[in-house]
Amino acid sequence: MAAAPDEFSGPDDLEERERTALETLCKRLADDEFVLAERYTEWQVRAPTLESDLALANNAQDELGHARLWYDVLGDLGFGERELVYERDPDDFRHSTLVERPFEDGNWADPVLRSYLYDVAEELRLEALADSSYPKIADRVEKIRSEESYHREHAQNWLERLADDEESRERLQATLDELFPHALTLFEPCAPPRDANEASGDKPRAVDPGIEADIVDLGLRTATLEELGEEWLSIVVPYLESLDLAVPIDGDDGFEVTAAALPDERGRDGTHTDAWAELYDEFTRTYRELGRDEPTTIMDAPE
Amino acid sequence: MNIDTVKERAGPREFSPADELPREYREAATRMIEFHANSEIMGAYLERPFIRQAPSIDRKLAFSAKVQDEIGHGQLLYRAAESLGVKTREEMLDDLANGDGKFLNCFHYPMESWVETPMIAFFVDGAAMRRQATLRRTSWEPYAHAMDKVCFEEGFHVKHGEDILKELMSGSKKEQQMTQEAFEEWWPRIIQFFGPTDDKSTHHDFAASVGLKQQSNDDLRNAFLDQYIPKARKYGLEIPDEPRIRERDDGTYAVEEDDLNWDEFFTIAKNEFEPGLGQINGRKTAQEAVDWVRETIENDASAAGGHAPQAAD
Repeated sequence: MAAAPDEFSGPDDLEERERTALETLCKRLADDEFVLAERYTEWQVRAPTLESDLALANNAQDELGHARLWYDVLGDLGFGERELVYERDPDDFRHSTLVERPFEDGNWADPVLRSYLYDVAEELRLEALADSSYPKIADRVEKIRSEESYHREHAQNWLERLADDEESRERLQATLDELFPHALTLFEPCAPPRDANEASGDKPRAVDPGIEADIVDLGLRTATLEELGEEWLSIVVPYLESLDLAVPIDGDDGFEVTAAALPDERGRDGTHTDAWAELYDEFTRTYRELGRDEPTTIMDAPE
Repeated sequence: MNIDTVKERAGPREFSPADELPREYREAATRMIEFHANSEIMGAYLERPFIRQAPSIDRKLAFSAKVQDEIGHGQLLYRAAESLGVKTREEMLDDLANGDGKFLNCFHYPMESWVETPMIAFFVDGAAMRRQATLRRTSWEPYAHAMDKVCFEEGFHVKHGEDILKELMSGSKKEQQMTQEAFEEWWPRIIQFFGPTDDKSTHHDFAASVGLKQQSNDDLRNAFLDQYIPKARKYGLEIPDEPRIRERDDGTYAVEEDDLNWDEFFTIAKNEFEPGLGQINGRKTAQEAVDWVRETIENDASAAGGHAPQAAD
């Protein structure tokens, strides 16, 4: 934990270094939520029961709501929804590859497991943002937290139910093997945003560990990614093992995210799996086809 | 209760599961509510892709919520239908998957572009609102009760649909043109939403006599045209030349029935229309892909003594 630095009063007195740190942090937060929600909505009208259909739709809308909150913080830096979503270069998105992975038809084990892996990480990161030196971030944590515990409970209920049945547990295991490396990218540092130091947009841009260090040094987040990753592992590994699932990570050295366990594409550094390009193309289709130049807002900006 | 007593007593919210009702009434009510419930599900199926294709986060949120609402309405309505003791929800959902369940004509057509979304969300939902508002006085109390919630939420959907239409019609020339084209394609189907004229409607007499149905197709169609023709014009849409619609001296509308494609309508009514079949089967495939989950839950439930656990829902 870093010593508490001075609070920022707002967007006006930010230095370049502070700006970059804030932008990088908020983009990874917002992009995670937005892309996860985008994937969740695929289960609408496709879930196993009407009840689970309603529940997953709720989660999707919660995550979309959170994405709105984080994108709105980026409004302080002059970004609008157009630059942040609908006209952003897909290579500039900074979400973890966990949230962009496509669902295999009918594999209900996936949204349930993905939700669990993600929601535990989200709880931890919200905890580390509750005392953020950027007041707007801290303000928004409480609202989001109240919804997240419900998501996690929902996911665990399903996991336990599925793990209880041999065939369903095998599906869970196969899905866990697929998702787990991607989940680890939740704790990877980001490449700098495009405008920060190079205009060319060469990809993938090298991760700059300095930005992540700044995020913590400036008190924007009060825990390091390593700390969050270790804590996350210390929760999910024993839990998944208690369901008789084998977690694909070497636990001998304690709970640590190692390079060997990570997938080739990590999202945070601007590299994405092929599924992302397709997804991006789909959700921007109408906007492009109609030749829009501004996404429609129908709700007031978050308080 | 015999059928004559039912007809005598038939009034708003008159009958509930506490009444012993003749099979004829219960079957007619089941058919009507099941049709309504199926339509909610198939409407949601049709609109689902536009959650993703919505051109902004706010629109996406609203669309996701709308689709969720429709599934919620389906859930409510199946419950209201189940309470008649004729069919279980599982049987109704299975019938829908097998192509035996009937649903609204409009949801048998494919929807490919965002400009089509207000055709459903404004016009079809608006038409449905007219009918549903009258059903709050239907004689089967659980159905009327479900309509209270459905009408409340449907009001928001129609407003959202209207807002999308307004945005498209005040957008670029291209958007306006595409929207007009979509309107021309959907307009006859929307008018057919109310079915054939009363003299050709098969189920109306009985359903009306036992208080299930509160207003005739003709009355509903009239009320809809009266309200929606001016709205369409207000947003700059041109009413297509066909079907020919004539305003009578008393302010009601006469639709030239021969200008509408009734062969197609009745093919749809039999679930034999090709695009509609594709949608029925698309939903069936999606449901089959999660059969294993339902089996797991059922095993779980029987192991727990036959009580389905609710927690994970």
